[in-house]
Amino acid sequence: MATYTLDTAGEVCPFPLVEAKHAMAELSSGDELVIDFDCTQATEAIPAWAATEGYPVSHFDRTGDASWTITVRKP
Amino acid sequence: MILTGLLLGALLGFVLQRGRFCVTGAFRDVFLTRNTLWLTAFLVVIAIQAIGLAVLTATGVIAPKVTPLPLLGVVVGGLIFGYAIVMAGGCATGTYYRSGEGLVGSWLALIGYAGTAAAMKYGVLKPLNDGLRGLTVPATTIHGTLGIAAWPLLVTLVVGVALAVRHHLRKPRTVLATLPPRRTGLAHLLLERRWHPFATAVVIGVIAIAAWPLSTWAGRNGGLGITTPSANLVSYLGTAQPRYLDWGVMLVLGLLVGSFVAAKSSGEFRVRVPDATIAVRSTMGGVLMGVGASLAGGCTIGNAMVETAQFTWQGWISFAAFLVGTGAATRVYIAGHRRAGTGADSGIPAPVADADGTPQRRAVLTKI
Repeated sequence: MATYTLDTAGEVCPFPLVEAKHAMAELSSGDELVIDFDCTQATEAIPAWAATEGYPVSHFDRTGDASWTITVRKP
Repeated sequence: MILTGLLLGALLGFVLQRGRFCVTGAFRDVFLTRNTLWLTAFLVVIAIQAIGLAVLTATGVIAPKVTPLPLLGVVVGGLIFGYAIVMAGGCATGTYYRSGEGLVGSWLALIGYAGTAAAMKYGVLKPLNDGLRGLTVPATTIHGTLGIAAWPLLVTLVVGVALAVRHHLRKPRTVLATLPPRRTGLAHLLLERRWHPFATAVVIGVIAIAAWPLSTWAGRNGGLGITTPSANLVSYLGTAQPRYLDWGVMLVLGLLVGSFVAAKSSGEFRVRVPDATIAVRSTMGGVLMGVGASLAGGCTIGNAMVETAQFTWQGWISFAAFLVGTGAATRVYIAGHRRAGTGADSGIPAPVADADGTPQRRAVLTKI
């Protein structure tokens, strides 16, 4: 049960999602991944990916103008 | 009358930004995740517009023109444009609305795109553009070649798209995580809530239909278009000749206004400067977009969304070429993308460059 952060600020879409997928593959069951991102498209793409994969989202919020954070758990 | 272009463009820019309607993303998803939700939304726009066009043409409100197919230009230009939009991180409209969100990489792509589009249509690259687009084959529309009326194609398209929509809507419903609401009522709906891709597509389809009479009444026989208007904008800035300042120029200026208003009022505007790699890639992507879209006779909007609704060969062949180009670029720039250190286990070696040899930034995955 560890928490990892993936800072993708400055990365344009679709790279935050691509990197989140890679990172998620490395995590163990029960681990959480905090993804910080600032490309607008990912506000749609990352929740859609989490829903499709069945990853629970425990936190999703704005951290400022055009910047967001989302926490996804590996079941 | 050309002011209706500014208004419609602003509306479209607003809808594109709020709806996250990214055609590049729609095409890319087909190869990256095998997901066709957004491609289906794009097809919904074509189908709705095709119905509207048929009605407007039959009632004599508009008289769209079709020209012989410049086959080589459409295929080569389509492949270049499809590849370039992945480099630039957005197609023509995507680049406009991301510029309105404050993405400096999109500003670079936009300048490159509008610049080469002007060079191809009016400037030093005109001989190349005219030469390739002069090689035509005697075919305009698909129904014309087949010697049939247009309506069987329209029915086939509408039924096919309806089946695709049903396929997606019948999937088990997944609940998407949403941002905590800060507003209520209409402001929540317009500035905060997630718009379903199909809902956005219906609105864009209606805007695309409205573009035809509005543009025609302002002296420009056409629907939504981005490439020639962008070239005209550059030419107007460079020559001050009023003939360049038409409804289309107002439309693309409106895109910037509308997407800025949408982003600013929803807390999604911020000037974001890309790193050197993305800056170079965006600029090159923009430069190639202007060349490709000019050769193909239009971008993902003018060709893949508007010409397709007229059932021209140019529209559908360029649509296919865009997809092939996007698929190739997705392999080069995205599928193999790794940033060093994005794996949780530091013992796992990560590649340090993209497939095209671009070095990658150090990263970022940290345990807390």
